[in-house]
Amino acid sequence: MSRQDHIREFAASALGEGRVDYVIGWKFAYNSSEVVPAFVRDPAEVDQLVWNPLCHHNLVTFLKRKMPDPLDARIGVCVKGCDSRTLVALLQEELVDKAKIYVIGVPCDGIIDRRKLEKQFADEMVAIDYPEGDTTDGQVTVTTRQGERKEFATEDVLLDVCRLCRYPNPVYADDMAGPPAAEPQRLPEPDWSDIADFEGLSDDEKQAALERIYATCIRCFACINMCPVCFCWDKCVNRSRQPELVSQKVGPKENLLFQMVHMMHIAGRCPSCGACDRACPVEIPLYLLHRKMNKEIYDMFRFEPGTRLDEKPVFQVFDIKDQFGE
Amino acid sequence: MAEAGTSQVGSAAGEASAGPAADVETSASTDAGIAASGDRRPVKIIGIVCNWCSYAGADTAGVGRFKQPANIRLVRVPCTGRIDPLFALKAFEKGADGVLISGCHPGDCHYSEGNYYARRKFELLERMIHHLGIPKERFRWTWVSASEGQRWQQVVTEFVAGVEKLGPRKARAL
Repeated sequence: MSRQDHIREFAASALGEGRVDYVIGWKFAYNSSEVVPAFVRDPAEVDQLVWNPLCHHNLVTFLKRKMPDPLDARIGVCVKGCDSRTLVALLQEELVDKAKIYVIGVPCDGIIDRRKLEKQFADEMVAIDYPEGDTTDGQVTVTTRQGERKEFATEDVLLDVCRLCRYPNPVYADDMAGPPAAEPQRLPEPDWSDIADFEGLSDDEKQAALERIYATCIRCFACINMCPVCFCWDKCVNRSRQPELVSQKVGPKENLLFQMVHMMHIAGRCPSCGACDRACPVEIPLYLLHRKMNKEIYDMFRFEPGTRLDEKPVFQVFDIKDQFGE
Repeated sequence: MAEAGTSQVGSAAGEASAGPAADVETSASTDAGIAASGDRRPVKIIGIVCNWCSYAGADTAGVGRFKQPANIRLVRVPCTGRIDPLFALKAFEKGADGVLISGCHPGDCHYSEGNYYARRKFELLERMIHHLGIPKERFRWTWVSASEGQRWQQVVTEFVAGVEKLGPRKARAL
């Protein structure tokens, strides 16, 4: 039984028994090359749920959006390894009611980075074929408008966050869709090699790079809206006009401040799932900030956000024996 | 924004305790608000201090007439625990050349534990600020108690000297 079958079966039984009002999962958009979030309310409709290496959406974001009235619904939600960590981060702070959610954990072998492919083919790309079943062994095939087919090793087109992933299996789930994924990529210690290039720059080079990167930000709030753990989204200081803490002016400085507000406010909760990077319409490499932040948090506390339910995020607690500062 | 009375350091009293000639020269030029190179604008530094310790410490320094550079503008907050990392970043965005954060020593917080939370935040903030290409010398956080007027003088003098060495910021991003 594939993971997809498991998901459908769990969703059908949860809906059929009335344990949840709806299940959030993934479904195909207009064809099998594009996946979008799905909200399934009828057990007869569970067949639209899918699982494949294009299911990049972090669906925990939708639980955050339900927060203003968590009493409203009982929700079933499908989570990958990284998604489950964002969910645990919310549960650690009791921002989501554990009794009101039903979690289907999906072991994950890595997600395909659409943008890597789009970069090569511009808008010539019409279809993406990927290995069927629960494996990433094999080829990803892209078909272009001219009917050309080009093959890639799956490994080469995975998201960068997936290459460095230490938690391919959900850390928290009520039901697990199949046996755990192999953890060949699991590293004994976190690997931060993706930000090493930026870290190696001099101060002036960093400023120049950030100026270039953040000049393109249009402050659409996609990163914040997609972020599952950036939860005061109705009272965000980034939106506040009175007091005006972040100026309405748009420029690299204001945009970077805007993003730093986001980053500093999710410190200790953000597991670097990369939802913000994927949501950004102008492809700002947000991982330069959140991966660095997580690196420093790991260095300071040996803490990985959202890995244990019984832990509190490090910035919610303190230890008198901390050795920071002078 | 509250400005500490300590920023108008009495030159008359200061000279009485002035040390070697070199020191007098440096502090005289900073007091006048003119950097050593002449045409450079004086550096502007934002100090974010807690009401109970560092603000009072700055006051002690003023009452004690300890000479210190006048480049620092103090913002008084109830507790270091109240300081959002955004404050420091906002100061840099608005053109501050340096940001100094100071509060009660660990264990001395007026609200028992505000600075225990704060120091975790500041440590991360400091590391992130360096990651944005802002040199180490431009950001410092420390503890100064209400009675440590001399320490306040020393902290401010050291910090301002460090920032002046770099000169005004030509920030490109934040």
